[in-house]
Amino acid sequence: MQKVKSSIWFFCLLLLAGTVSAQQKTVSKSWEFRSINSIGLLEAENGSSFQLQTVNGARYKSWFAGVGVGLDYYRYRSIPMFLDLRKEFGKYPNKVFVYADLGMNFSWVTDKQKQNFYFPDDHFSNGLYSDLGVGYKLSLGKNNGLLISLGYSYKKMTETYQGYIVTYPYPTYLRDFATVTQQQKINYSLNRLSIKFGWQF
Amino acid sequence: MKIIYRLCTRMGLLSGFIFLFSGCMKDKITKTYQVSTPIYQVLSEYRKAIKSQPATTLTAPGKMSVIGKYIFLSETGKGIHVVDNSNPASPRNISFINIPGNVDMAIKGNTLYADAYGDLVTFDISDPTQVLTKNFSPNVFPDRSIYYWNVPSGGGFNPDSVKVIIGWTYRDTTVDYNPDVNPVFYSGGCANCMSIAATMATAAAPPGTIATNGSTARFSIINNYLYTIVFNSLSAFDISQPYNPSLAGSVQINSQVETIYPFKDRLFVGTSNGVYMYNIQQTPAAPALIGEFVHLRSCDPVIADNEYAYITLNDGSACQGFSNELQIVDIKDMSNPVLIKTYQLKHPEGLSKDGDHLFICDGDAGLKVFNTSDLSNLQLIRQLTDATVSDVIAINGIAIVIGTDGIYEYDYSNLSDIHLISKL
Repeated sequence: MQKVKSSIWFFCLLLLAGTVSAQQKTVSKSWEFRSINSIGLLEAENGSSFQLQTVNGARYKSWFAGVGVGLDYYRYRSIPMFLDLRKEFGKYPNKVFVYADLGMNFSWVTDKQKQNFYFPDDHFSNGLYSDLGVGYKLSLGKNNGLLISLGYSYKKMTETYQGYIVTYPYPTYLRDFATVTQQQKINYSLNRLSIKFGWQF
Repeated sequence: MKIIYRLCTRMGLLSGFIFLFSGCMKDKITKTYQVSTPIYQVLSEYRKAIKSQPATTLTAPGKMSVIGKYIFLSETGKGIHVVDNSNPASPRNISFINIPGNVDMAIKGNTLYADAYGDLVTFDISDPTQVLTKNFSPNVFPDRSIYYWNVPSGGGFNPDSVKVIIGWTYRDTTVDYNPDVNPVFYSGGCANCMSIAATMATAAAPPGTIATNGSTARFSIINNYLYTIVFNSLSAFDISQPYNPSLAGSVQINSQVETIYPFKDRLFVGTSNGVYMYNIQQTPAAPALIGEFVHLRSCDPVIADNEYAYITLNDGSACQGFSNELQIVDIKDMSNPVLIKTYQLKHPEGLSKDGDHLFICDGDAGLKVFNTSDLSNLQLIRQLTDATVSDVIAINGIAIVIGTDGIYEYDYSNLSDIHLISKL
């Protein structure tokens, strides 16, 4: 529960940062700061997991480019940090858009997840993060809008630990040998459907 | 209202899409590890190969035994190095006893007892450079006697028909892995217990007669008995005829045993969930349980003196422990041991005590030396971080320490100036 609270506070802080930067007004008549803040689900083989993101950047005509950071709870908690590029289509206030995110995924495994580790030196390293998708913006006024999007999200994590050489069929005596332990590695390439509901201002 | 309606409509469409396609999203998870393949030798050839060889380089130092001017140091799984330590400032690696499958040892006088997989092998070490194999006691450690598993019961077998693993070849492999079905492999062993040993200088017998073994050794000698622990049993071998040890008795222990430590007529057996104390005075062939001290599940070397036991717990994964601490236990009444105090450490393993000074190998935090004159307030007087260490014997002003890459020796004759004098 404490972790959830911390995460909410973390997100609020990011949101606040985004709001402040968005309030720093327009760079020019063509360039405008925008903040996109969303929550959502990641759906895949391992079930549903929560995600939240804030992306802050500049809009130029129908293009937007920004920097994003978020929380991703799929399998093992991580913090994706990425560049976001998106384009809107259509002349109506409500518009379809496509987006592409590319960046790094920084592992931030929860204490509860760590409890499942058999090996104390178990740790995760960072990996690639990407998200590609399409969405729909419902205009709520001049610069405000509700966003719905659906995309394909990928994150990669690598877990390493000092494991045991498989000892079958002689499990008891091999423990005594120097070569019994070795660094083992688990590569997680996680493919998810990414559903996000956001607010742009 | 219209906006909300539109939003709901799109959310409904999204939900349908997710329902249809989320099952297509698969995680690709692979595990990379080494596969080991045994190298075999027939038993008769294997036994012939157990003999002295020229000195070889230390690569995986295991347990050590100190007798007189010699250090016998196991190269885990391969044999025993003999080190002439007559000058601790310049130790010399003088020979190697090739014993595939060896882990533990004990020495009394000129007789070395060592395990070779499931066999107990007896050596004459009168000349440490030309050790002579005197006797094999076959299959006395059944859970390590892998090469007897396929031998027909009822005695008698052809040694040329029995294969012994003498080494391994390794190759990397990557396979698909499902962490939800196959949790990370756990072998039941204790990785951090495989290369640690330590001792107190106050061994049970006069110096020079019975070698000083470590706090994590699994062989120990008191008088005319060699005590060994394997898996969950404590066995006593009568060694009144030094070259012909005979199994005199054994007792079962309801826990996974890790270490054995002798003090006077007592044996302290460290297990994964506590320390068991035995008296051997009345029935040396059948040690009598006189007390136990239960702790959290962990790997646990232990040493003791007349009044206190010093237990280090470490988070050796396979012991399923998460504690890294020193526990000091009052054992004046062994039937009712009382925990005096716990001290947090980094990853404590072997330990040794000399007088009022306690030496603890604390993993990569190095060797720590404590003043124990006040057990409720141990004073750290020196931390030596030359190596990641696992084993220490503190004896006669010299601390012999096993590091991951060799033996380190420290002069502690002047406690205000403990310093490294050699590394082998």
